[in-house]
Amino acid sequence: MDMIKVTINGKEITAEKGKTILQIAEANGIEIPTLCYIAEVKAYGACGLCTVEVEGMPKLLRACSAVASDGMVINTDTPRIRQSRKIALELLMSDHTGDCKGPCSLNCPAGTDCQGYVKLIAEGKFKEAVALVKDRVPLPASIGRVCPHPCETACRRKLVEEPISIAFLKSFAADEDLKSGDKFMPEIAESTGKTVGIIGGGPAGLTAAYFLTVKGHKVTIYDAMPKMGGMLRYGIPQYRLPKEVLDMEIASIAELGVEMKNNIKIGTDITFDEIKSAHDATLVAIGAWKSSSMRIPGEDLNGVYGGIDFLRSVALKNPVKLGKKVAVIGGGNTAMDACRSAVRLGAEEVYVIYRRTRAEMPAEKVEIDEAEEEGVIYKFLNNPVEIIGKDGKVKAVKLQVMELGEPDEGGRRSPVPVEGKFETIELDNVIMAIGQKINISGFESLELTNRGNIAADTKTFRTSLDGVFAVGDATNRGASIAIEAIGEAQKASNVIDSYVNGEMVGYKKPFVSERVVTAEDLADRQKIIRAKMPHRSPEERRKDFDEVNLGFSVETAMNEAKRCLECGCHDYHDCKLICYANDYDVKPERFAGDKHNCKKESKLVYIERDQNKCVLCNLCVRVCDEEVGKSLIGLVGRGFTTVIKPEFADTSVTEFCKTCQKCVNACPTGALKTL
Amino acid sequence: MRIVVGQGSCGIAAGAAKVYSAIEAVVGSSAELTITGCIGMCFLEPIVDIYDGENLVKRLVKVQPSDAQKIIDFVNGNSDAVNDIEISADDKDFLLKQTRIALRHCGVINPEKIDEYVADDGYKALEKVLTTMTPEDVIEEIKVSGLAGRGGAGFPTWFKWNAARQSQGDYKYLICNADEGDPGAFMDRAVIESDPHNLIEGMLIGAYAIGAKEAVVYVRAEYPLAIERLTNAIAEAEEKGYLGENILGTSFSCKMRIKAGAGAFVCGEETALIESLQGERGMPRLKPPFPAQSGYWYKPSNINNVETFANVSWIILNGGEAFSAMGTENSKGTKVFALTGKIKKGGLVEIPMGKTLRDVIFDIGGGIKNDAEFKAVQMGGPSGGCIPSQLLDTVIDYKALGATGAIMGSGGMVVMDETTCMVGMAQFFLDFTAKESCGKCVHCRIGTKRMLEILNRIVKGEGKDGDIELLEELCYSIKDGALCGLGQTAPNPVLTTIKYFRNEYEAHINEKKCPAKACSDLLSYTIVADKCKGCTLCSKKCPVDAISGTPKNPHVIDTEKCIKCGACYNVCKFNAIIME
Repeated sequence: MDMIKVTINGKEITAEKGKTILQIAEANGIEIPTLCYIAEVKAYGACGLCTVEVEGMPKLLRACSAVASDGMVINTDTPRIRQSRKIALELLMSDHTGDCKGPCSLNCPAGTDCQGYVKLIAEGKFKEAVALVKDRVPLPASIGRVCPHPCETACRRKLVEEPISIAFLKSFAADEDLKSGDKFMPEIAESTGKTVGIIGGGPAGLTAAYFLTVKGHKVTIYDAMPKMGGMLRYGIPQYRLPKEVLDMEIASIAELGVEMKNNIKIGTDITFDEIKSAHDATLVAIGAWKSSSMRIPGEDLNGVYGGIDFLRSVALKNPVKLGKKVAVIGGGNTAMDACRSAVRLGAEEVYVIYRRTRAEMPAEKVEIDEAEEEGVIYKFLNNPVEIIGKDGKVKAVKLQVMELGEPDEGGRRSPVPVEGKFETIELDNVIMAIGQKINISGFESLELTNRGNIAADTKTFRTSLDGVFAVGDATNRGASIAIEAIGEAQKASNVIDSYVNGEMVGYKKPFVSERVVTAEDLADRQKIIRAKMPHRSPEERRKDFDEVNLGFSVETAMNEAKRCLECGCHDYHDCKLICYANDYDVKPERFAGDKHNCKKESKLVYIERDQNKCVLCNLCVRVCDEEVGKSLIGLVGRGFTTVIKPEFADTSVTEFCKTCQKCVNACPTGALKTL
Repeated sequence: MRIVVGQGSCGIAAGAAKVYSAIEAVVGSSAELTITGCIGMCFLEPIVDIYDGENLVKRLVKVQPSDAQKIIDFVNGNSDAVNDIEISADDKDFLLKQTRIALRHCGVINPEKIDEYVADDGYKALEKVLTTMTPEDVIEEIKVSGLAGRGGAGFPTWFKWNAARQSQGDYKYLICNADEGDPGAFMDRAVIESDPHNLIEGMLIGAYAIGAKEAVVYVRAEYPLAIERLTNAIAEAEEKGYLGENILGTSFSCKMRIKAGAGAFVCGEETALIESLQGERGMPRLKPPFPAQSGYWYKPSNINNVETFANVSWIILNGGEAFSAMGTENSKGTKVFALTGKIKKGGLVEIPMGKTLRDVIFDIGGGIKNDAEFKAVQMGGPSGGCIPSQLLDTVIDYKALGATGAIMGSGGMVVMDETTCMVGMAQFFLDFTAKESCGKCVHCRIGTKRMLEILNRIVKGEGKDGDIELLEELCYSIKDGALCGLGQTAPNPVLTTIKYFRNEYEAHINEKKCPAKACSDLLSYTIVADKCKGCTLCSKKCPVDAISGTPKNPHVIDTEKCIKCGACYNVCKFNAIIME
């Protein structure tokens, strides 16, 4: 066998004569991207990604076809090559219409693979579903119960009738897993010997602890409260999230080896500096635990509570003295939790006072409705201007009557006072649920934003102190929903992992292809009613703190999961195009223009074909032609309008295609799918 | 006397067939009536030549069927009968200033009669080659001549022949690329229509040199007359023993046939042409292997352009040195150009390399139509580039033309004056290449499409800041990334117009103005009240009733309704309409 010597990227390689540059590079572990080359068929040279530079040659060569010669000096990754590949990928993506991921997953702050686990649930694979959820969210039973589910907001099924009940499916699967006796536990990497201190054992802290432990680091959580869980435990009432469920999920995290230290308050029991110096990295996830004030007279009267303070007292089973008439100020989920808790504590008349109308309430609709069913009285377009007291105790609240004015920046119509119009209602208690703030004491060394929150880099989550990271409600824009904090914590755990391993890599939002779908596009779908979550009657449930929802049956859950439209590409994880697109940091919008708009062929024999994802690598054609010898597909048209057309006329062909399907396997994108 | 009617496609299009019929009806026995091919003076067609023996006694131009009797009168002795249609001394210069080698028989002999070709030294070169030269001698002679591929790339012909000669194989093919696809180019068509035996002879010499037993002419189906005359010529040559088994009694055998191409521009690329010959979709192959190693049916093959072959017999007869005596250091011999566009004298021009563009356009072509200002010339069709007026003295030479950003190309020369928008010109050519891209490689398929979209928006006045840079980025990437010549050269018209006319791009993008006043979307028409006499002509002419006014009072254009067709502007006798 004749051998030659070539140099690739500075490395001298001995190779067999007659081999292409690509073959030699591959054999030596040097990756050269290509979409249109596979070993089974002849080189074709369409995609232009495998180009390399060879010294002494002015033109770029296609590595897939260029046979190496003795003494060749080859470079596979130069600025010129990267630019050429990048433009090729940008051009391809500029004519690529498809959803890499479903809108559910893209809208989830934690990027949970909703479509993936919903499909697993539809197949009855609950443990696998939980494993997939826990790839992003380690508290699925808890989060599934309380999450305002941005996934469902984005779910395209609503264009047919209603979104998939994604959140409840998640808690369903997690419940099944927890009670199975063989719950999912992640594999833990070999110990790195690094330690990470996490301050705050709420959803963010627990999430970061989970992922950092999985990566082999030793994690300790320090929390000021008696038990872990943060706002999930002390801010969300039992009737929505039974603490037994939360306990089980926290226990699973503890089982991984996370050390959990409770009743440790920074600045009192230990200093921030002590924690910092005890660990290779520190994550601050302390949440926002102070109720915001309304800044009106009478706030310090007896019988006035902050929303989260009130909920915490209830959670801690501290005696909360409520009178017969209670008003909750605010329209968010905390207000709903507060008013419904007040009902359960025996208050006879519970008002929710909100300065806008029902339509503008930020709380979830189901919460608003269920509170009303439980007897809560809404007083819309009212704004408290004074809490009137008698003998140091709340007696009444004076309300300014409002009306809706012009929409604000966010499109919500702002309330404006109706001049001179006031109303007063007699009350025993006022609960202010208008927002929450961070309590910074003990963390004075950290730089804050102008809103008073901890300033953290949005890509690296790094604070002003080296080795200190921060996520969740305590940072930047302030309090938000739990899944937001979880998402940040999951991303931060990757950054911290890279940091303790010596080279910090920030989070980078992956590039994905997305498309716009209208109700018209889905007009052919059969309408299937969304599964209703069975729940206890209002009369019954208002008497105690037991869980309102009764959970899905296996059958209901599986049927509900089957409603999924499966918007995301089946090939996302194996798609070479999207992988390279991210490797080369493409910006295809620069070349936005006409796109192919072909109808998806949902049944081509045993194959589904979506030309809008085709990159014309011609592999399907060539495999069918060269490898299989059938030549059932071919190119039609020219220039930009070129498409691949199959010829599946006679039945013997159909029978053959049924068993072959080599074209599907050869496709580098999700353009072909086996049915 | 002999009356010869020029019957190339262009002459026929101008009415030569009708002229022929008219003469035929009245000629009787007063003269012999015959045809010839393309004389090369499109601007004077139909052309009728009157010969006395071998002497051309009169050349009549722009002849109408009604002139037939005059011609007969002349032949019958009325020497003044055709004075009004005789070619002017100035127009005679068009041919006199040329040096014709490839075109030497064009417009002289009857292309349908092999005897006329043979009488003019036809097939003498073949005879010389077959009886006195080895294939290596032939290749050496071609090497001495410096002949380079006339299809556009300018690759040395001897090198290709030699590579095919050296290539091991039991069966070799010689292929003629007659898929002339550049808009505005018609050199090859003229050669085939006017002198098909010269092509056959050149090909046979090539086939002998490389050792091919079979020759194929790939000619586009849009050239029916060329196919007809070549088919006839092949049959004639076979009959006379110039083609087929044991040619001229020697051991050399070669058959020849025609393959009509379906008109895909990319099939002018040699490997795409081979694919098409094999009945496959016309798409370029990866090179290497080159056709000399693995071409038609994966056998060693050599492909040359029509004009290249058309020079071969002359070189053999006159010697390679005679050919290389003409031209510049790196470009030898002559080159044929198809001169079109805003030129006074459009037609086929063959000149020695080394002349300047000014020589061709002004000296031979007579300058710009209506004495307008010369703006630029597009060389090499969609693969070429434009050359602006300041570079008119560039010499015709592969290297010198390449240095401007344009190319020699196959010989298309489209002349533009000040009314041509250079962005619009680039858009025109890119629209062509984008549509003609075979769709195989990403850079070409999508890249040219995106470039076209950017150009479309620029000429519509929707160009954005950064569009020029985006175009340039795409241009360089496509040049680098495209697989074949079509893609690699497609950006040339855009790159050269940006290079020489960047201000026009900027005017479209920044000021939403077309300096050439050619892009209708950027024009507006208004009536100057002072000048308008209220003649109502414009309002009558307006196809969309956008002009209102009462007779004898100034009219007004409703710009909302106006479709910018320019009809009012053209019809106004008082220059009262402003286009800007």
